[in-house]
Amino acid sequence: MSMIKEVSSDWERSYKSITFIVTKDCQLACKYCYLVGKNAKERMSWDVAKKTIDYILNNHSFFNEEAVVWDFIGGEPFLEIDLIDKICDYIKTEMFRLCHPWFDNYRFNFSTNGINYNSEKIQSFIKKNITHLSIGITIDGTKRKHDLNRIWKTEDMERGVVPNQSEEKGSYDDVVKNIPLWLEQFPGAGTKVTISSADIPYIKESVLHLYSLGIHEVNINCVFEDVWKEGDDELFENQLMDLADAIIDSGYYQDYACSFFTEHMGKPMDCQMDNQNWCGAGRMLAVDAEGNFYPCTRFAQYSLRSKKAWIIGNVRDGIDKNKLRPFLTLDRCTQSTQECIDCEVASGCAWCQGENYDAADTPTIYQRSTAICKMHKARVRANNYYWNKLYRKLEKEGEREAFENNKPKSNAPKC
Amino acid sequence: MIKYIVILLDDTSTSFCHYANSKTVQRPMPLQTLKDGIRYAMKENLNIQFVYPEYTLPKEYLEVIDSIDHTDIKPFGVSNKIGSTTLCGSDIVVFNTLEEAVDSQVRSDTTYVVRTDKACLFAGCDALGTILGKVARLNVVITDVQTFTEDDFESYKSLLGRLSEKVERLYVSGRSPQLNLLTDRLLLDQMNNCGAGETTITLAPDGRFYVCPAFYQSAGGYAVGDLEHGLDIKNQQLYRLDHAPVCRNCDAWQCRRCVWINRLTTLEVNTPSHEQCVVAHLERNQAMKLLKRLKTKGFGFDQEIKEIDYLDPFTIRREW
Repeated sequence: MSMIKEVSSDWERSYKSITFIVTKDCQLACKYCYLVGKNAKERMSWDVAKKTIDYILNNHSFFNEEAVVWDFIGGEPFLEIDLIDKICDYIKTEMFRLCHPWFDNYRFNFSTNGINYNSEKIQSFIKKNITHLSIGITIDGTKRKHDLNRIWKTEDMERGVVPNQSEEKGSYDDVVKNIPLWLEQFPGAGTKVTISSADIPYIKESVLHLYSLGIHEVNINCVFEDVWKEGDDELFENQLMDLADAIIDSGYYQDYACSFFTEHMGKPMDCQMDNQNWCGAGRMLAVDAEGNFYPCTRFAQYSLRSKKAWIIGNVRDGIDKNKLRPFLTLDRCTQSTQECIDCEVASGCAWCQGENYDAADTPTIYQRSTAICKMHKARVRANNYYWNKLYRKLEKEGEREAFENNKPKSNAPKC
Repeated sequence: MIKYIVILLDDTSTSFCHYANSKTVQRPMPLQTLKDGIRYAMKENLNIQFVYPEYTLPKEYLEVIDSIDHTDIKPFGVSNKIGSTTLCGSDIVVFNTLEEAVDSQVRSDTTYVVRTDKACLFAGCDALGTILGKVARLNVVITDVQTFTEDDFESYKSLLGRLSEKVERLYVSGRSPQLNLLTDRLLLDQMNNCGAGETTITLAPDGRFYVCPAFYQSAGGYAVGDLEHGLDIKNQQLYRLDHAPVCRNCDAWQCRRCVWINRLTTLEVNTPSHEQCVVAHLERNQAMKLLKRLKTKGFGFDQEIKEIDYLDPFTIRREW
C-alpha cells in the first residue's frame, strides 16, 4: 500500500505530458482498440523526434510546467526500442546542456502490451533509465478475459481478412510470463483494464486474478465508444456488486485498489463551483511520425473513425496556439447536455474529448458523448453498495478511523 | 431564434463580410428556388436580405424579388446599374476595395461596406475618414484579420486613434456618424454580433441552408438543411453567446464574432482567435477614449466603458 501512495507526488500537479507516437504498428489486434488506422508504415524517424525535442526544450516559456512526462505509445512503443533509447539519451543530454528546469524533473512513461518486456534491448533500456521510468503493462485479467480481446495480429488481418474465432490466438501467455519481472522492477505498478460489452461477465474474476498476480492497483474503465447493448448495465452492476463482496469479504480493500470503486462519486455537480473539464486534452502534446502535433493522441488520424485529424501544429512551424484555445476554454457544462447538467449522479462520469469529437454531429469538441451514461449509473449504484458495505463492516470492527487515515490511493491516470 | 435569411442570388453574389467568395462561375439561383426561399421566409416570418452578383439579374428575378419586403445588398458596380438614377438601388452597397470606395460617388442615406485588407486599410485612413463624412453608415470589414501580427496591432491602434478624431470632429459639427469600428460600442449595452446560425441563416443557389454565406462560398463549409426538408442546424447552441466561453466573458460588444473566422482559425465556431479578440479590444478601447472625450464635450451618452488591462479575454480565463 505504501508504494501506491508514493507514486503520487506533488510535482504531478504541474507537469507536461508529451507523447511520441513512435509507431502505429502493434503485434496485437485487440478488438476494442480505438486505433482504427494502425499500420506498419508510419514509424517515427530520428529527424522528427529530434526536431520535436529541440522545439520543446527551446520553448520553455510556452512549455513552462514544473516537470515533464515523456510518454511513448504506439501501436506498441517497444517495437521501436532503438529509436526510443536514442530519444531518451538525447533528451537527457539536451536538458543537461541547456540547464533546463526539467533536468531531474522528468519521467519516461510507457504503456506496453508487455510481449517484448524481457528482451535484452528493453531490459537494457530499463536498467539505464530506471530512476526516471514508469512502465504499465496491459493485462486484462484472466486468460479467457484477456484472450477474448487481446489477440495476435495475423498477416490475413493486415489484408483486411477477419479471422474465425477458432483461428484467433490470444496473447495472455505471452504477457503473463513477464509480469513477475515487471513487478520486481516496478513494485507499485498498476495495470489498465478496458471493459467492452463482451468483457462484462469476466470483470470480477479478472480483477481478483490481477490481485493474485501481485498487481495492487487495477485501473479499469469502460470504453467510451457507443458499444453497449440492452441489459449491459444490469450485468455490469451485478458484476461490480459481486466484485465488491469479494474485495470486502476477503479483505483486499486494505492493500489493493480498483478504480471502479471511488468514494466521492455519483453526486450532483454545480455549473459554477464544479465546472472544470474532465479531460486534459490540449494540456498535453502528442507528435506522430509526420511531425504533426495533436492536443492528445486521440486526435491523430489513426484514432479517428469519422473526423479529420485535429492538428495543432508541426515540428517545422511549431504550435498554432489558436487551435488550442477551444481546449483551454472548454468547461464541463458548456459541452454537456441539459440531462448531464441536471444529473443527480454526475460526479465521476468521465468522458474522452477525442471520442466526443469523433462521435459529435459536427466537427466540435463541445458535444459530450453520452454513450457511457447507463454504465456510469450502474457503476454508481455498485459503488454506493461497496462503500456502504465496507464502512458498516469497518465500524463494526472498530477499524473505520484507521482505514480512513490509511486508505489505498488510486493513481489512475486521468487523461 | 432565426429572424433573418440571407438569400444569395448567384454563386458569385458579392461577399459583404470577412470571407472571400471563391466561386467565380456565374450560377444564378433557379427561379423556382428563389420563389420557394421567399415562401419559406414568409412562413417562418424571416426578414430577407438579397445578395446580388456583379451582373444585372434578368427582369423576372427582379419581379420575384419585388414581391416581398426585403433588404438589398449589392456590389457597388451593380448598384449603379439598377434603377433610374445614378446612385440608387440598394440598402447596403459593398465596395470590394478601399480604392473603389475612394473613387466612387456615394449617397448620404445609404449604408456602405468597405472590404479591405490590412495593408490598404493602414494606408487609407484619410480616405475612410472622408467617406465616413458622406454616408449614413460605414462598415469596415478587414478581410485578412486572421493574419494580424504584433506590428499590425500597433498600426491598427494608430489608425483607430486617427479615425476617432474624425468621428469626434463630425460629432462636434452636428453629425452623428456611424462607423462600426468605433461608434457601435458607444451605443451598445450587450453583445451585438453577426448572428450566423443563431438569428440568421443563408439560402444558397443550391437550395441548401448554410449558417452564413462563407459556409457556401468558401472551402470547407457545410449545409444545415435544405428547402425540401427544412432547417437542421446541428449543435445550434454553439452559435449562441452562452456557449462561447471566451465571448460570454467579454465586453467588446461591437465585435463581429465571425463564426467563419473562428472555424478557420481555431476549428470551433464558438471560439475566436487571438487576432480577432485583440482587434476587437483595440476598437473597444479606442471607443472608450472617444466616449470620454465626447462626454467632456457635453454629448449625452448613458454608456460607461471601463478600463481593462488585457486585449484578449483568453489571457484572463482563470478569472472567469
